[in-house]
Amino acid sequence: MLPFSALIAGLLAVSAPPPAPATAEKLLQEVRRPGASVTLVNVWATWCMPCREEFPDLLRLRRAYQGRGLRLLLVNADFGEGKDEAVKFLGDQGVDFPTLLKEQDDDAFINALGGDWSGALPATFVFDGTGKLVDAWEHKETYATLESKIRPFLREEGKETTR
Amino acid sequence: MRTTTKLAALAAALVLVAGAGIAGEMAGKAALGIGAKAPAADVKMKGVDGKEVSIKDVTGAKGTLVVFTCNACPYAKGWETRIVDLGNAYAAKGIGMIAINANDPKVVADDGYDQMVTRAKERGMKYPYVMDATSEVAKAFGAARTPEAFLFDAQGKLVYHGAVDDNVESAEKVSKTYLKDALDSVVAGKEVSVKETKAVGCGIKWHQQA
Repeated sequence: MLPFSALIAGLLAVSAPPPAPATAEKLLQEVRRPGASVTLVNVWATWCMPCREEFPDLLRLRRAYQGRGLRLLLVNADFGEGKDEAVKFLGDQGVDFPTLLKEQDDDAFINALGGDWSGALPATFVFDGTGKLVDAWEHKETYATLESKIRPFLREEGKETTR
Repeated sequence: MRTTTKLAALAAALVLVAGAGIAGEMAGKAALGIGAKAPAADVKMKGVDGKEVSIKDVTGAKGTLVVFTCNACPYAKGWETRIVDLGNAYAAKGIGMIAINANDPKVVADDGYDQMVTRAKERGMKYPYVMDATSEVAKAFGAARTPEAFLFDAQGKLVYHGAVDDNVESAEKVSKTYLKDALDSVVAGKEVSVKETKAVGCGIKWHQQA
């Protein structure tokens, strides 16, 4: 008899697409791609416990607000065997949309993302609809705080994209 | 010409995106500045040999290397052998070194004192590996992650802050040996050319105040 949590995880699990390698330039192109009124970039890794803890809230946020302009870009920073673990984790979390894998040396990637990021994970960046960085932090956040950070940039309910 | 224009446009876009003065909570801007003296240099920390040691105690004739690291973080582990090799090799060239674990073992059990003792033995660390039991030294440095290196010259001024090199995954694939280059410059009494670099790492697991 499987425990209840394992049953739920089994129901959620999907075959997640492996994260696509992306330099900071490619990531920022995704940020500026028209269609979103706010883009949340989250850099995470499977070995980072706070990243794993925060992950379900990020997915919940996406489910709740993607219809109002939220774009969530998940950027994995695993290396070596961690890359396989990342695909498994994404599957277990039910991620069925494209995600990214940090490519390029760290110094260039971190500086290009900006916001005085030290390189510590998890790191989250908020870009407005024009692609301008408006907020960033390097720790896990609660769902309520994540929601409050994106709320000013969300479209009104039922409004279609303008870009 | 076209490439130059493209590059210029890209650089401009990156500057725009990077922005300035965002209301974020990033640690990068809080770190000790180049040219600064080591803060909290008198704070005694317990080393793996049981002795209390401070940054001042390990000061080298040519310079001093302070590395915030730990046992458990995959990035600290990935660079561990290279850090140990540098620390051990440059001791003979007049560089004093101290490795500091500022993580709270209540958050990550593998970062406990006993595990540090074992790791130091396994890796053959010939320099002090100490516990920053309140994280106060790491906070004074504005350190944010593991591993993170701070190199001071013979005058005690910070001349390099950042990563070990540009490839945690494979020592063979490293193309920029940032810390080694900085150490060589300090030993030679020359100016360090690349003074600050960044790398992805594990956030320091701060000790909670009782």
